[in-house]
Amino acid sequence: MNHINLRRLFLPLVTIFFLLSINGEAMSADPSPVIATVQKVSGMATVVRQGRTISAEIGLEIWENDTLHTGPDGSIGVVFNDDTLLSLGPKSALVIDEFVFAPSQGKFSLVIRMLKGTSAYLSGLISKFAPESVHFETPTASIGIRGTKFVVKVEGE
Amino acid sequence: MKPQNHLFVAYILLFLLAGCSANRNLIVPPPANRDLIVPPPTNRDLIVLLPDPDGKVGALRVTTKGGSQILDKPGYAAQVGDPSKPPIAPKPIDENEITGVFGAALSAQPDPTGRFISFILWFENDKTKLTDESKELLPEIVRSIQNRKPNEIYVVGHTDRVGTELYNITLSARRAYYVRDFLVSSGIKASALVVSFHGKAKPLVYTEDGVAEPLNRRVEVIVR
Repeated sequence: MNHINLRRLFLPLVTIFFLLSINGEAMSADPSPVIATVQKVSGMATVVRQGRTISAEIGLEIWENDTLHTGPDGSIGVVFNDDTLLSLGPKSALVIDEFVFAPSQGKFSLVIRMLKGTSAYLSGLISKFAPESVHFETPTASIGIRGTKFVVKVEGE
Repeated sequence: MKPQNHLFVAYILLFLLAGCSANRNLIVPPPANRDLIVPPPTNRDLIVLLPDPDGKVGALRVTTKGGSQILDKPGYAAQVGDPSKPPIAPKPIDENEITGVFGAALSAQPDPTGRFISFILWFENDKTKLTDESKELLPEIVRSIQNRKPNEIYVVGHTDRVGTELYNITLSARRAYYVRDFLVSSGIKASALVVSFHGKAKPLVYTEDGVAEPLNRRVEVIVR
C-alpha cells in the first residue's frame, strides 16, 4: 500500500504555515492618499487636484491638497477618515492643506484653508485627540479649537 | 448627574466674502431683540458656533492680526471686519439668519449619526481603580460595542497633575490597560482596541501643576 511520504510534504507545509502567519502589517502596501469621501453633492461641485478638475460625485475620494469648489447652485459634503464632517454651500472654495490621523503613532493634524463662500464644520476624532492640531484658516482669521475650561463639575463628588 | 464633556467638539459655520466681489444680498428679518446681530455688511466674515448633534457645545478661538475672540456660546457669532483689528465681540445671531446664510451648507452636511461615540471612566486618586459610578458604566460600554460592531476602539489613559510626568505616564498607561483588559475579557476583540496614554499632559479640566482634580483621572473610550 502506498502511503504519503510526510517528509516530502514537510517543506511545503512549513512554507504554507509561514505565509499564513505573516500578519497584515508586515505586508502593508503604500498608505492610501484618501483622506475623505464625498457623501453629498448637489448642483455644480468640483475637486481640483494637481491641476486636474474632477466633477464631484458621491463616493469620490478626497486627497490632501485637494481644493473643493462649488458653483452658484452647488453644494458638497464630505466625511474625513476621522469622522470630521465638512460641507460647502454655493459659490464656495476651500483647500485641505493637511490631514493626518494616526492614533497609534500619536500623529494628528487637520489644516483647512477656506477661500470664499459658506461652510459647515463638525469636528471629529482629530479634534478629540489633539484639538490643538486643528486649524481652520480664512483670509482674515485663524480659527482654533480651544482647550479645557468648560467642564461642569459633578456636585457632591 | 454625570459631568459633561464639553471639550473638543466644535460645530462651526463660516461665511466668507469672495475677495473682490461686492454685493451679497441677504434677506434681513427685522431683529426682535436689539442685541441680535445685524447682518454683516459686505466686508465682514462671519463665524457662528452651534451645538453638535448631541447638544454639546465646544469653543473656538478666532484670531486675526489684531487679536482674538473666544466663541463659546451656541448661536453666537463673531464677525471679522478689519483684519488688523480683533474680531468683533460675539453676539447672538437670529436662527432665520443662520438658515438664510448657511442653509445650503447645512443641508449638504453628511449624516452625523453613525459617527464615533465616546465614554469617560473615572478613577480613584492615584489608583488604577474605577470609581463606583464608573464601574456601573462598564456594562453599558460593552453593550454599545457589541451593538455597533465598531472598526476601532480607542482607549486613552490620563491622570491629574499631581506627581511627576514619568510617574503619571505610567499611571495613565496602567489605567488604559486596565480598561482594555476588561474589554477583552468581556469578549471584545483585542485587535480592535488601540491603547494610548498621556500622563498628565491632557487634562480635561485645566489646573495648575500639582493640583488634584478627580475629573482628570480618567480613561476615555472612543468607539468607532
